[in-house]
Amino acid sequence: MSKNYTKIIKYTFLKVSLIPLSLLIISTLVFILLRVAPGDPVDAILGSGADDIAREALRTRLGLNESIISQYYNYIEKLIHFDLGKSLSNQEPVINIIRNSLPASLELGFVSIIIAILIGLPIGYWGLNNKNKSSDYISRIFGISTYAIPPFWGAMMAQLIFSVILRIFPIGGRFPIYQQSTNITGFIILDSILKNNFLALQGAIYHIALPSLTLGFLLSGIFSRSFRLNLEKSYSSQYVDAAICRGIDNRNILINYAIPNALLPILTISGVTLASLAGGALLIEVTFSWPGIALRLQEAITQRDYNLVQGIVLVTSFLIVSLNLLIDILIAFLDPRIEY
Amino acid sequence: MVNQEMFKSKRINTLTISTVCLLLTLFQNSCQTNAPSKRITIASSGKVNSLDPARANTLKALQLISSLGDTLYELDNDGELIPKLASKMPVISKDKLKISISLKKNILFHDGTPFDSKAMKFTIERFQRIGTNNYILDKKIKSIETPNKNTLIINLNKPASSLEGLLTSVNLTAISPSFYKNHIDKFLNNNFVGTGQYVLKSFSNEVQILDPNLNYWDLKPKNHGINFVGYSNSSSLYGALKSKQIDLLLSNSIDDSQRKDLNFLSKKKEFKEGISNPTEVSFISLRTNIEPLNKKEIRLAISKTINREEISKNVSYGLRQPSKSIVPQIFKGDNLVSWPKYSPKEAIKILKDEGFCNGKTLNLPLTYRSNVPTDKLIALYWKQDVQAYMEDCLSININGVESTTIYKNLSEGLYTAVILDWTGTYSDPEAYLLPLLSCNKLDKNICNQGESVYSGSFWGSEKIEKLFLEAQSLYGNERLKILLKIERLASEAIPYIPIWVSSQKAWSQKNISKPIFNGAGRLLMGDLEIINE
Repeated sequence: MSKNYTKIIKYTFLKVSLIPLSLLIISTLVFILLRVAPGDPVDAILGSGADDIAREALRTRLGLNESIISQYYNYIEKLIHFDLGKSLSNQEPVINIIRNSLPASLELGFVSIIIAILIGLPIGYWGLNNKNKSSDYISRIFGISTYAIPPFWGAMMAQLIFSVILRIFPIGGRFPIYQQSTNITGFIILDSILKNNFLALQGAIYHIALPSLTLGFLLSGIFSRSFRLNLEKSYSSQYVDAAICRGIDNRNILINYAIPNALLPILTISGVTLASLAGGALLIEVTFSWPGIALRLQEAITQRDYNLVQGIVLVTSFLIVSLNLLIDILIAFLDPRIEY
Repeated sequence: MVNQEMFKSKRINTLTISTVCLLLTLFQNSCQTNAPSKRITIASSGKVNSLDPARANTLKALQLISSLGDTLYELDNDGELIPKLASKMPVISKDKLKISISLKKNILFHDGTPFDSKAMKFTIERFQRIGTNNYILDKKIKSIETPNKNTLIINLNKPASSLEGLLTSVNLTAISPSFYKNHIDKFLNNNFVGTGQYVLKSFSNEVQILDPNLNYWDLKPKNHGINFVGYSNSSSLYGALKSKQIDLLLSNSIDDSQRKDLNFLSKKKEFKEGISNPTEVSFISLRTNIEPLNKKEIRLAISKTINREEISKNVSYGLRQPSKSIVPQIFKGDNLVSWPKYSPKEAIKILKDEGFCNGKTLNLPLTYRSNVPTDKLIALYWKQDVQAYMEDCLSININGVESTTIYKNLSEGLYTAVILDWTGTYSDPEAYLLPLLSCNKLDKNICNQGESVYSGSFWGSEKIEKLFLEAQSLYGNERLKILLKIERLASEAIPYIPIWVSSQKAWSQKNISKPIFNGAGRLLMGDLEIINE
């Protein structure tokens, strides 16, 4: 085993061992912040109409009358046993709610990143290939403007044009109303393939198309700008000069030398973007009524559903930390220059 | 070289054709959605967390449960109580402590088990035990007897005439004891077995599919089933109706500008609009236990600065009915109780008499719920109106706070004036008066404990408490007179300023019959049918 691999293993071990500590800090902070925020689940459930006795009775039933220390102790004790508790608003286990909504967000995030790459990279390359020409300016403006479009506005415009006016795509939802959700992994596209259900696959793609195209389009600017800059940097490096001197043709230089090196930062960006989308793309989910984790989190915060908010934050934090670690390791394997 | 180029070009062509074919296949789907279906798709805002009658408290969940199940009594369009699962009106004992209810025979639950008095007893007792809103029964019921299969006797702790109205509450929808045997003390959120017109076929938080109950004991649905879908925002609901992706839009939470547009399109006969009786009251709660609002005259002056007609016109495009009452008219028949009307001149005069104006301005902090768009518009309009017509006598400072925070802090007395709304949990004037005016601990006219504390007014009256007690032992018109007297007393003390009443609205496509609501504001889904025009 090379010295670098040993370093990576050590780095991974250190990072993995820090995950529980990070999660403990996050969960404690969320626990405190939720209790500090005004209002509690009883107010959200009963509104302004119920009297003191009804409020107290519900508070006792939900375990909110116990001291904060006792509530925290119970929370951590359950957490150690991988029990995220039950939703305060409907008594469903939090893990079931997360299991139902997280795949929706991950599926949307993953498809959107693929679309962002498919749009962003060719535009970045097209701009560099026509450096300082009008195409280059168009590519740059595209990169900046897609990044600058407010997601809620972009999503509403997409919905208005493609769903309401042109009637090409459905207005919202994750699958057709008449279709029962196929539930093996929770990822509908994958599940319909696993079940050989072409109709379900068709319905799933038809429903994910507009939200993912919108999100992918909005994200593509980062990829086009980043790819253009890194490709330019690769072209001006010594290894490309050496390749030119050796008489290697331009196509080979592009494919074998410039692009692989320019793609490394893209991998980092993809990882970070995917990690951030693991927590859901709230505005896209709200606009397209996409039943993802961000929509659930927003509802849980409104309802002051402590257990559900804590559970969602904890699981998404774990995903973000893990994905970041995975990307770090992947890059270290791909790029021998990187040392930890 | 030429061959290679040709091969490449062929490959690109094949790829292009495949992509186009794939896209065409996918877009076929959009045509399928628009294809005529015998089922009716209804969209509404938000999702359904629970279909358990003991848990449900959102309009959408209550709407669904009322289609899947039946209550003992129901309110018709004229606000009259009519028997549903009961066979006739309840019989009250002479001491008013016993209510006997005869039940209809040969009614089956969706699971095939018979509906009888034991099932009804099970339903009521389960709600008393675990119901989220079980406070509405407020220890009224002492015990329940089932002398035979078709008779239910409710023994009361004290006379409670409001119980008749309470029996129309969707929370007391009859459920099958055998199906719920494992959920006696816990909620069953994702299923429902009742006696209603529809049977639940499938449930998810976003989509609920309802099939007609072929063994329904009363009139069978006029359609082949309902798909009930939830969208998370107003624009999606509006867009879905306009693009014909849904058959009917049911929502009281879509933006008022979109309501206006749909109202306009309905007048042009592009849609059919159905409106329920108003059931939601919006009002301003005034904190009466501190200066200067502890003075009745100041409250009167403030209440005379609210121009309800203009607020309705400017904020809701005239689609919400201005109201000078805290009880919707349907529950009061032809009787009127009028709260102070708009008159800025009189308001200025009163404030001058109280030492304000001419350099001394009464500053009124007004809080509104920041997550309710119309509240903000009401606050802004009122502020502007006061600026224009109240000289330097009155100034309104507005502040938006999220609703859950407001509900938490109302009883702490944090808000001098706050915009709120209320929908009675059952169909009765008392369901509006009690939560706003009742008080358990009174010190003159200041309430220290009770419902009016939770409504933020802190106002109460010994006389009103006595009248509430008196009303409990009266029925029919006599009871209504007492309840009207209570409202009249409140209108003279002005702890609240009524603004408007809101109705449930629904819009259907041209090929669907006009939406109709019952007296409690629930859409009659069974009456919806596909028609050819």
